[in-house]
Amino acid sequence: LQIKTNEPAPPSAALTALKSARFIENIGSVNYPSGILSPNPALNPAASGKFKYEKDFLLQFQGVFTEKPSVDWDKTMRETVGEPETTRPSTAR
Amino acid sequence: ADEAGASDANSKEQLTVFHSPENFNVKHPLMNKWTLWFTKPPSPKGENNWNDLLKEVVTFDSVEEFWGIYNNIAKTSELALKSDYHLFKAGVRPEWEDPQNKNGGKWSYQFKEKRAVPIDELWLHVMLAAIGETLEAEDDKEIMGVVVNVRKAFFRIGVWTKSSGGGKTAPSRESLMEIGRKFKEVLRLNTNEHCEFSGHTESAHSGSTRAKAKFVV
Repeated sequence: LQIKTNEPAPPSAALTALKSARFIENIGSVNYPSGILSPNPALNPAASGKFKYEKDFLLQFQGVFTEKPSVDWDKTMRETVGEPETTRPSTAR
Repeated sequence: ADEAGASDANSKEQLTVFHSPENFNVKHPLMNKWTLWFTKPPSPKGENNWNDLLKEVVTFDSVEEFWGIYNNIAKTSELALKSDYHLFKAGVRPEWEDPQNKNGGKWSYQFKEKRAVPIDELWLHVMLAAIGETLEAEDDKEIMGVVVNVRKAFFRIGVWTKSSGGGKTAPSRESLMEIGRKFKEVLRLNTNEHCEFSGHTESAHSGSTRAKAKFVV
């Protein structure tokens, strides 16, 4: 049995949602909230399977999913990119 | 049982991250799985094997996860000189030597006015064009990855392709030109600014990345 001293914090609600969410199978079946631009149907004639997305659609997520993408993200950063000079707040809240 | 589960799930309301950032139950799949790599600048004392400097950071396959990564990683403008980000299709190493890059090449553009160029925005837009699959026609499957290099005199952004327009595969030339035109558009270049394409083999033989351009847009 190994006891880790730097136990990662439990996953946030957003990360738990990310890990458990299913992939959209039919892009036409999603009702986006008003004010959200839907994916361009001309890019996805088949509507099912995997999708192409335009820049303006993708940019809408920028301020919406801000959570670190894994519980050990800080460790991944230390071992790869290193830490930026200015550390961002860990959540948007 | 799987079928019953799926139809049950489909009949349930699909909540996206826009409906509920903490309780969404569906996410947006990407057409391909992508891996982000980072090249560390060489350290002044030893340990400068390329393999030690090229680090695999993370692999992802949804729009939501891309933004989780992007929002929590250093911006290109914050990186030290001699750093690179590479965003490649999973399973392809961002190197000439990878068998899948062997016959390939790249479109690239050097921004020499480093302080004038919005490098973070341009690199983001290039990544979005790659993962959103809007750089090429559906069946071309030429794109291998995109890269940004941070150097003393310039930022350079490139897009790597599977083929290099040579040999008998004539149709690939038109695909490459189309990718070059889209790439130039994403970088918001003027008509008098030119992106250049060169094959990896020619680049390797010339001993630098300044091989003679094969195509220009």
